[in-house]
Amino acid sequence: MPPSLRLLLLVSTFLTLAGCGEEQQAVAASDDAVSPEIKLFRSSMDGAPSTIDPVQASNVYANAVVLNAYDTLYRFKYLARPYEVTPNLANGMPEISADGLVYRIRIKQGVHFIDDPAFEGGIGREVVAEDFVYSIKRQFDTKQRPRGAWLWQGRIVGLDAWKDAGSNYDEPVEGLRALDRHTIEFRLVKPYPQLVYTLAQGYAAIVPREAVETYGREFGSRPVGSGPFKVISYDSARIVYEKNLKFRQEPVDIWAEGYDPDTQAHTGVEAIHERSPPFIDRLEINFISENAARWNSFTKGNEIQYLSVPNEQYDNILASKDPIVAKPEISEKYHMRHSVESGFVFTSFNMDFPTIGYNDDPEQERRNKALRCAIIKAFDWARRNESFYFGLGRVFPGIITPAVPEFDADLSEDSITLDIDGAKKLLADNGWNEDNIPEIVYGTTAGVIQRMFFEQFRGFMKKIDYPSDKVVLKQYATFGDFVKDTSNSRLPIIGKGWTLDYPDAENTLQLFYGPNGSPGSNDANYKNPEYDRLYEQSAVMLPSPERTEIYRRMNQMVIDDCVVISGLSRTRIYLWHKDVIAMPDREIVSGFFLRFVDLVDGKNS
Amino acid sequence: MDVLKYAIRKLIGGIPLVLGVTFVSFVLMVYFGPDLTFEMLGKNATPEQIAEVRKELGYDRPFLARYAEYLKELATLDFGLSDSSGEPVSAMLSRSIPISLALVTPGFILGNLLGVLLALVAAYHRSGWIDKAIMGFSVVGMSISFLIVIIAFQILLSSSYGLNLFPVRGWNVHSFYDYVMYVTVPTLASVFVALGYNTRFYRAVIVEEMTRDHVRTARAFGIRPGKLLYKHILKNSAIPIITRIMFSIPLVIVSGSLLIESYFGIPGVGKVTFDAITSGDQPVLKAVVGLTAVLFVVTLLVTDILYRAVDPRVSLK
Repeated sequence: MPPSLRLLLLVSTFLTLAGCGEEQQAVAASDDAVSPEIKLFRSSMDGAPSTIDPVQASNVYANAVVLNAYDTLYRFKYLARPYEVTPNLANGMPEISADGLVYRIRIKQGVHFIDDPAFEGGIGREVVAEDFVYSIKRQFDTKQRPRGAWLWQGRIVGLDAWKDAGSNYDEPVEGLRALDRHTIEFRLVKPYPQLVYTLAQGYAAIVPREAVETYGREFGSRPVGSGPFKVISYDSARIVYEKNLKFRQEPVDIWAEGYDPDTQAHTGVEAIHERSPPFIDRLEINFISENAARWNSFTKGNEIQYLSVPNEQYDNILASKDPIVAKPEISEKYHMRHSVESGFVFTSFNMDFPTIGYNDDPEQERRNKALRCAIIKAFDWARRNESFYFGLGRVFPGIITPAVPEFDADLSEDSITLDIDGAKKLLADNGWNEDNIPEIVYGTTAGVIQRMFFEQFRGFMKKIDYPSDKVVLKQYATFGDFVKDTSNSRLPIIGKGWTLDYPDAENTLQLFYGPNGSPGSNDANYKNPEYDRLYEQSAVMLPSPERTEIYRRMNQMVIDDCVVISGLSRTRIYLWHKDVIAMPDREIVSGFFLRFVDLVDGKNS
Repeated sequence: MDVLKYAIRKLIGGIPLVLGVTFVSFVLMVYFGPDLTFEMLGKNATPEQIAEVRKELGYDRPFLARYAEYLKELATLDFGLSDSSGEPVSAMLSRSIPISLALVTPGFILGNLLGVLLALVAAYHRSGWIDKAIMGFSVVGMSISFLIVIIAFQILLSSSYGLNLFPVRGWNVHSFYDYVMYVTVPTLASVFVALGYNTRFYRAVIVEEMTRDHVRTARAFGIRPGKLLYKHILKNSAIPIITRIMFSIPLVIVSGSLLIESYFGIPGVGKVTFDAITSGDQPVLKAVVGLTAVLFVVTLLVTDILYRAVDPRVSLK
């Protein structure tokens, strides 16, 4: 063999081996996957989680991956819309005391963690109530770098004090106890109607103490759970799971899951009725933030089988926008589903700024309010929707989103109706002119779309003669930097989106609750004693017409005080291959849907 | 022996360079880089919780103490755990660097080899239509955004809208065939772009060499074009070519190619580095910056030795 050829072969072998490296495990998995005997589902997400430790499952991506490796006490029903909670590892819904302060939850017996060297003999032991107690305590241990404590902070008797005393896991917490191996008891400081929702979050996923202690912070990349799947490889491009063969056998009752044949029959989910999930042997979630690559991979046919359609493809796939109908060639090849997101996008005024918000001078404060109302009137929601959301977004007044049961479809739409003349009149009547109108700094993260948002906003303002040089953009290199400034109340106008943690309007109403002001989530720093009183009153109420009425009054206050330009819930369109049986959802159900995915003919295509 | 002595001297001399690079980059990271605190906090954080997270991240410690720790980490090659994923940084890099290396090496080699070849041809036919055609192609390669090139190649060669010959994305490599399948399109895209820059640079170097007296003399002696180009022109142009190639290597090894890795779903070090920059994951950033600085020192040394190998007039002092 000529030396040059030998060298070429050597280099090729080296590069091939170099490229295999640590990926070996995932490689083997994928090899098996192409076998017709293996059921493989390749899903995709438009972002990646930075960790798969439940204690840090702070975004939709981390939450989705965590929910497939770990168990939670509750989950959201697969098919029910509006969303409903149902037991998962819990043996039923909680027993709640008459005063709403004591919750008792029994968990299923005989559920085991996956096998892992962290356990004695490497065999996964049974999941017990104490594991749940430990998992929630982790959220109150700074060393674990938790991000979910806000869900239970100030709610559970003794938990905050436990943290203040140094987070010693051997010390009990009065309000969070394992009564026996399979019974958990919560004792609450005050009623917390959303508690069950919080127990369906990735933050509340159950982890074994010995694994956390064995792996330390590496636990974030070495998950040990009892969920429907176990992770076999994880990197910046994808996560690969295989079926957890120990997962409990629980046949699905699609009717109990909320099956609606009129709207869901096309998905083929009837095929999973009375069978026990998970149905697929291997699950891959590919993290593809680049829209073009995600679309090319999906349409290729033998790569990803599901995606949330990028906005720029809407034109290519839709025959009609109202009603939303796919083009025949798309319907022929793929299943399609669309839904309005649970969260919303909005722009807050920071009331801390005396030039636009609260002011010691009542007269100035009155003029500031007029200025904010004028800006809201000048905001052209129809154009915003058309320009950035393909005209498919749902524009609504206030901060109670269409996804929650408390949404008021009959609410006046004045706050989302373009009224240039009204805005100009408001400015003139209150003495605002080009010379004395204040400079407003619009803050957002760096990016082309964000820049376009700003330019459009400035264009809207120009129509009410707001000088362009007084509408200034401040862009941040990273989301963390942006949050840093909003948390420190350094921005007068803040454009942002909010994803609902649970389907209850409380989750958005808390965004304007006074005590949640900066550095909390009320970065509008809205302080209205009556609003705060109503929030506190409703926070302990179970869902009822009375509570809905209070929510709506609070919503009206935010609208009347012109604190926020709101809002729009984006419509999401999902496509998946015809050989996949699924009802995908990236909203509240999130990662829970993947255990119910199956393939037509029971084989990978 | 001389070479060894020189290498030791050069490596010792490189220490101030590493210190300088790490110090400046650490100042940038600490005072101007992303602050991970607010990404790590949950909703409705209190000032006390902010302080706790800052303490946990080590942000409250004196700058010099943190920098000293950084140097210790660099010396021991133990950069601790990623602030984002909790994974050991060394594990992240040892997993992703070989992938990036396997990904970019073919494009790097081909881009330079073809660049030199085309440059020789263009220079030899200077001002003729062949030269103009090659330079035109180079300008096209340089002018089109790398992102557009990637998307175009992906659609053309990998997607169902094009030839559908290669995977759109992924990195399931366990045989040479798989490797070829996954690396071909990224390589073609990077060669297309690299050729533009490389060919123009190498042509300029070669054209300059062609105007030298010894080349004119060689031509006058009637030396064949092949021998003239290889022996009298290319060999004498080797120093700037080696310099360009060698100084690209540290970036190729450590930084990978972010765009390629992102669009082709390849878990290489480029993506790891980008994520660390945007999220403010200082342990990963420190490792990447430190290793790049060390690699540059080693590259300087190897480059000097190579100079000596191609030009005996160069002495290692």
